[in-house]
Amino acid sequence: MIRFDKISKSYPDGTTALRDISFEVPKGQFCVLLGHSGAGKSTILRLINGLVEPSDGDVSVDGTKIAPQTLQTVRRKVAMIHQEFNLSGRSSVATNVMTGALPDVPVLMSLLGWFPAAIRKKCCELVELVGLREEHLKRRASALSGGQQQRVGIARSLMLDPLVILADEPIASLDPSTSREVLGHLRKIARERDCTILCCLHQVELAKEFADRIVGIEGGRVVFDLVPKDVDDKTLRLIYKNYDDPAGEKTLMEANVDKALSPAIIPG
Amino acid sequence: MSVENEMKRAAGKERPSSAWEISPPYGTKTVLVVIVVAIFMYFSGKNSEIDRMFYLLGEAAGNVVGLNESSQVVNGTQTIANAMFPLQFSEVTEVSRIENFDPEDLPMFARVETQEATTTVVDPATLAISKTVTERTVVYNPVGYLFHVVDKMIETIEIAIWATFFSIIISIPLAYYSSANYTPNRIVYGFARGIVSLFRAIPELISAMFLVLAFGFGPIAGILALAFHSAGFLGKFYAEDIENADKGPQEALRAVGVSKVKTLRYAVLPQVLPQYVAYNMYILDRNVRMATVIGIVGAGGIGQELKGRYDMFEYGHVATILVMIFITVFALDQIAGRIRSKLI
Ligand SMILES: Nc1ncnc2c1ncn2[C@@H]1O[C@H](COP(=O)(O)OP(=O)(O)O)[C@@H](O)[C@H]1O
Ligand SMILES: [Mg+2]
Repeated sequence: MIRFDKISKSYPDGTTALRDISFEVPKGQFCVLLGHSGAGKSTILRLINGLVEPSDGDVSVDGTKIAPQTLQTVRRKVAMIHQEFNLSGRSSVATNVMTGALPDVPVLMSLLGWFPAAIRKKCCELVELVGLREEHLKRRASALSGGQQQRVGIARSLMLDPLVILADEPIASLDPSTSREVLGHLRKIARERDCTILCCLHQVELAKEFADRIVGIEGGRVVFDLVPKDVDDKTLRLIYKNYDDPAGEKTLMEANVDKALSPAIIPG
Repeated sequence: MSVENEMKRAAGKERPSSAWEISPPYGTKTVLVVIVVAIFMYFSGKNSEIDRMFYLLGEAAGNVVGLNESSQVVNGTQTIANAMFPLQFSEVTEVSRIENFDPEDLPMFARVETQEATTTVVDPATLAISKTVTERTVVYNPVGYLFHVVDKMIETIEIAIWATFFSIIISIPLAYYSSANYTPNRIVYGFARGIVSLFRAIPELISAMFLVLAFGFGPIAGILALAFHSAGFLGKFYAEDIENADKGPQEALRAVGVSKVKTLRYAVLPQVLPQYVAYNMYILDRNVRMATVIGIVGAGGIGQELKGRYDMFEYGHVATILVMIFITVFALDQIAGRIRSKLI
């Protein structure tokens, strides 16, 4: 479904984010990218919907190579869920969900704030599917809790029946129990619709619990690519330099603090 | 970079805190700047007669507390103040000047009176001066002029509302093309920015002067002059808000291939709307105040009436107009404040 072929990416400012990455995600897989902040996870995701262009190599989705001419077609098949939810806070839940189908709404109609009946109907179904109620439809997105907002984000991403859902740290702003709920929902929905999911996470435990496959990213390279049961402390040390947190809830900040405090990791 | 810092610290190359310094807030540079500003103020003050202003003000203050006999400022103010009171509310119209006069159909509060008018006539043959008393029938309306002023004030507010409406319409495309992240290309961007600056740069009173030549006396010139000037402001304000809007929601829509216009409508507009309403209220408020002024060059509204009465030394009428303007601006301020607090 998703194919990375010898991808490298350097940003205009000279930062090399990815070095020669090749891997494939088959249809229907829940694939988790694990790695500390700055490893290159977001860059990988953003290559798939063309928010970032590769410096070298090809990305293809559903057999279509991403290029300026194919970008619109690809984007229609690829949805994205964001760490900060990226909802329009002052708009209603219903409007937020329906904006997921905006590419299908005629311009004039959309400018007037009007959505076709089919889209309104689908919005209601999806809001129910992600576990929200009718009363939430009219409420402002910013009035919901974090977990509820991310559910709205998921509902929005499903509006165009995507083949692929990209999730960039979808639970990083949520508390642990809400995180588990949201991930559970995401996986269940993906299974039912045969969606492929590529998801960045920090929490090793949650990755092991929900993923079909875990890919470790470090310094813009794939350092391991395993099924969850084969991921042990030794492999984790490849991505979190001095990994010794059995609970697996080590956050990115703690990891950085460790890094700063430990003279052992200073290169040279 | 942090690694570099760590290495420096590890190698002990950083100075101990006892050797650190915090520079004082003022130095020679500050003193120089103060001197330059003082010199500038001295010469500019001479140019702008600031010295004479203080002299006159001092004289006026002295006169008020009784230290000196006369003050030009106090005398002038007194003359005007005396002439202004009482405020002129009434209106007298000679019946002979009214077409199809019907005594049964008078305006509210008005009544028919006979007034005596004394005319002095000089006989050209004898040069004898004789006074003749003529009687004339007039309609005396105790609030006629007040009503007239209210009428003019309503016209002024209408000018302001139309001007604000048109400025909003003009500034929406201007804002779209002059915000860096939505403009299609640099040329359009530069062009739109240029128009916005140009609109802002031309004072209403001056553009109204020329528009009066093109469109004739009356509200059209006023509406256009105010609309273009405030479109310059709104275009700039909107564009800045569009550029500073939270990028998250916009990226979420861009990621699924939503067009720019739709992104603006759904990911930017809801964010900037309260601010946008506040700008429009401010512009309306400002346009009402400006609409009272542009009549001075003949562009409609109460200013035209004000200028006419002022030129004929009818200060009682002028005072009525001024009071009307104050009341309107004050009332509008109150209403605007209330609407704003409801919306945000
Ligand atoms: N727009 C950008 N411009 C320049 N450098 C960037 C940009 N986005 C990311 N980077 C750099 O690329 C590297 C990888 O970033 P990212 O993909 O965001 O990592 P992750 O999502 O794993 O935290 C980092 O060093 C980051 O600083
Ligand atoms: Mg990231």
